[in-house]
Amino acid sequence: MNKMKLFLGIILFGSIWGFSECIIGPAVGNAGLPSGAIMTGFFAIGFMIMSRMLFKQRGMQIGMGLVAGALRLFNPFGGCVICSAIAIAAEGILFELIWYRLSLDFKDLKTYTMKISMGIVSAYPCYVGGYIITQILTPMVSSSGFYLENLIVFIPQILSRGLIAALVGGVTVPLIFVLKNMDISHVKDKVYYPTTIAISILCWSVVIINALFLMGT
Amino acid sequence: MGKKKLIPLFAMIVLLIGTCSTAYVYATQTDADGIIINGQQYTIGQIFFIAEPRSFDSLEFSGIALDDLIKKAGVGCPSCHTYTIIAEDNYQKTVSWEDLQGGLLTREGMTVFPDLPKAFRVKNVVKIEVN
Repeated sequence: MNKMKLFLGIILFGSIWGFSECIIGPAVGNAGLPSGAIMTGFFAIGFMIMSRMLFKQRGMQIGMGLVAGALRLFNPFGGCVICSAIAIAAEGILFELIWYRLSLDFKDLKTYTMKISMGIVSAYPCYVGGYIITQILTPMVSSSGFYLENLIVFIPQILSRGLIAALVGGVTVPLIFVLKNMDISHVKDKVYYPTTIAISILCWSVVIINALFLMGT
Repeated sequence: MGKKKLIPLFAMIVLLIGTCSTAYVYATQTDADGIIINGQQYTIGQIFFIAEPRSFDSLEFSGIALDDLIKKAGVGCPSCHTYTIIAEDNYQKTVSWEDLQGGLLTREGMTVFPDLPKAFRVKNVVKIEVN
């Protein structure tokens, strides 16, 4: 695949993922729903599988996580900003590790049992791993420092919260597989490049304008 | 064992871990009335009576000064210790005396430290341990 096309794909999907985390995530939280688990189980897993299906490239999801995490830093509202940004980037890396051994044509995931199982197996470690990584790194980057005992006693809570992410992931993967037959390489360059750039700019603009608006109120 | 058997097996293990953890969390959740500071139980009313008020206008938070609370709770040599703030759900964060000097506890039982990340905003505090 053309490297520029792949690069813009990473920017596009990372931007949409980051946009969801900044704009949809707080709305889900305000509705009294477990936003972290839903954002990972549905949006993060959904966008990462969708991009893997369309582009068929290993390593792309790490880049998407970095772009989405960077965009999250531009929205200083809705909980712990550094924690969220670290968790999002970590989710990209963890997803890549989990899916590394699976073939890019998804021939291993023909049955619903495999799709649902893979959704569970992807969403749970991504959520739990991201949560644990952020609990370690966030105190480290602050002046207070990391205390292992603080993390150990909270592990059952983290493992428990991951259950919702796992169940949501189990539903998301079969849904995303509806797009399996789409092939991004058939999209003409004169349509692909302006569209990806425009959508990415729109995502970043909305998040930054939203942050500026919230700062002004 | 092939992927067709391994992946569903891993999924079942994941669901089992999540379910057992949820059962454990609900079974061990504390429902304390008030806050235990250095082993001594205080009600929110007592805490707000004994400690000095503090507010962060920029963050729109007000409550009582955590450093003053620790002094009033009778902790000797407060700068010699670190302090672990524990929530109802066992979420906990350890802070230094320097951090505590800038922190407050709201009437809703949440700690706020303006110089630390929001992860240090521990909600539903049930205990402050002196280490």
